[in-house]
Amino acid sequence: MYGGDEVSAMVIDLGSHTCKAGYAGEDAPKAVFPSVVGAIDQMEVDDTEKTENNSGSAVDSKNTVRTLDSEKAKGKRKLFVGSQALGFRRDHMEVLSPIKDGVVVDWDMVDNIWDHAFRECLLIDPKEHPMLLAEPSSNTQQQRERTAELMFEKYKVPALFLAKNAVLTSFASGRATSLVVDCGGGSTTVAPVHDGYVLQKAVASSAIGGEYLSDCLLKSLESKGIMIKPRFSFKRKETRPGEFQTVDMDFPNTTESYRLYSQRVISSDIKECVCRAPDTPYDESAYSNIPMTPYELPDGQTIEIGSDRFKIPDILFNPSLVQTIPGMDNFAEIAPSVRGLPQMVIDSINRCDVDIRRELFSSILLAGGTASMQQLKERLEKDLLEESPQAARVKVLASGNATERRFSVWIGGSILASLGSFQQMWFSKAEYEEHGASYIQRKCP
Amino acid sequence: MANAASGMAVEDDCKLRFLELKAKRSYRFIVFKIEQQQVVVEKLGEPNESYEDFAASLPANECRYAVYDYDFTTTENFQRSKIFFVAWSPDIAKVRHKMVYASSKDRFKRELDGIQFELQATDPSEMSLDIVKGRAN
Repeated sequence: MYGGDEVSAMVIDLGSHTCKAGYAGEDAPKAVFPSVVGAIDQMEVDDTEKTENNSGSAVDSKNTVRTLDSEKAKGKRKLFVGSQALGFRRDHMEVLSPIKDGVVVDWDMVDNIWDHAFRECLLIDPKEHPMLLAEPSSNTQQQRERTAELMFEKYKVPALFLAKNAVLTSFASGRATSLVVDCGGGSTTVAPVHDGYVLQKAVASSAIGGEYLSDCLLKSLESKGIMIKPRFSFKRKETRPGEFQTVDMDFPNTTESYRLYSQRVISSDIKECVCRAPDTPYDESAYSNIPMTPYELPDGQTIEIGSDRFKIPDILFNPSLVQTIPGMDNFAEIAPSVRGLPQMVIDSINRCDVDIRRELFSSILLAGGTASMQQLKERLEKDLLEESPQAARVKVLASGNATERRFSVWIGGSILASLGSFQQMWFSKAEYEEHGASYIQRKCP
Repeated sequence: MANAASGMAVEDDCKLRFLELKAKRSYRFIVFKIEQQQVVVEKLGEPNESYEDFAASLPANECRYAVYDYDFTTTENFQRSKIFFVAWSPDIAKVRHKMVYASSKDRFKRELDGIQFELQATDPSEMSLDIVKGRAN
């Protein structure tokens, strides 16, 4: 048992797209930054001196304790974490994600992300704060033990808790039983929660998340001849009041992944500004004459977006639409595992016990960043009404508050970790030392 | 133990009152609330109170737990009674309350032995008498 003194806990939700971190008890996370990192292989680059001056939060992975990382192969590289460090273009910097299919594949990067959150964003000493981490439903035993080891051995945290993100979302909306539809950045996951347990065998996920939609939008615009210039590739200055001049810059050593990262920042903003889920399945001919919506790109050119406003969100419902977008070649790879959102919901419910299906249909919770898409909730509810069994009473719920929708997992963790009664639930350092990392399975089932 | 349970304690009075409802049928319903890190009894319903009285004792903007002893006649004309549990969590309640009640429910329900079915309701329509009837049979 953790003594539960007055030092407040930290809550971290490391998603596939964004990392949310902050103090337990607050309404929203203090630090929100990309969960991708920039990496430069030290072998290739000699002039690291130059980049060092500009790196606000560069962490030299050579110096970090690597007791846990056995993979020495990718040893010498320099990692850049945080929106600021990533916003600055560097030669040969690749943008990599530590998470694949919702599960951590590169612990070195995760380590750096946590470190950035503690020391750069929150300015805390992890030794003093219990940590509540949100974990994906699909996390394996090894992953959880690894997390516990890293937290206790390296950061020396006094106590730890791993909470399932679907459970946190469900609880934060006042339900112990619900079907959580988490439309995140990197993927979409449908997870049934019953009395606080995730029903693992019925969890469904697909690779189509917000980021995938942004990519589709990017490619679709490119096919129409609209090139989105990444922010680093030009300089814009005011020649006379109200008049701007854009000068293109050329950086031949920029990596393809960094270029894509910078373009995605823009295309996801376009998506958030103009896209809206259509009320009925997207139909090319019906939407050919809709009015165009203007959007001003960072380089000053104004583009007009027409049917893509509706077509892109509809990919969530009908993934095969991707085939009509030139340039989205990787669809063939993910195609077998991908289904539309309503189908995922129904399949997931059908894999649950008959007795709870009715209850799941009546409490479908929409959460995650992409859930803020306009009309997404209404469309999902409509499609489900059509495809669900007659007797079922379909109800899709989403918090009216955009912050709560986007950060529902973090908010749930924040409240939980700040409850007085929860202080006895932590997996404490003493317990870790006595029972080892595998005890996490008992303490945080 | 469910994942992310709050560890909220349950006052003994809750269990005693529930036993009285179950064995002696001294109450029609009991409303519970969470106060100072434990679940306590908020209101006891007399045996002659109706379902409307019960529904009216759940506040519109705050979460509660409740049990109700529901009498009904089966299709074969038998008099039966079933005890059901309601997790009341209106949408307009504070997130903090919703989280506290949802994360404490599993533990609390385990303390009450003899609940036959359970409803989670976020607005009055989700716990209407029709729904109760449907679940009881």
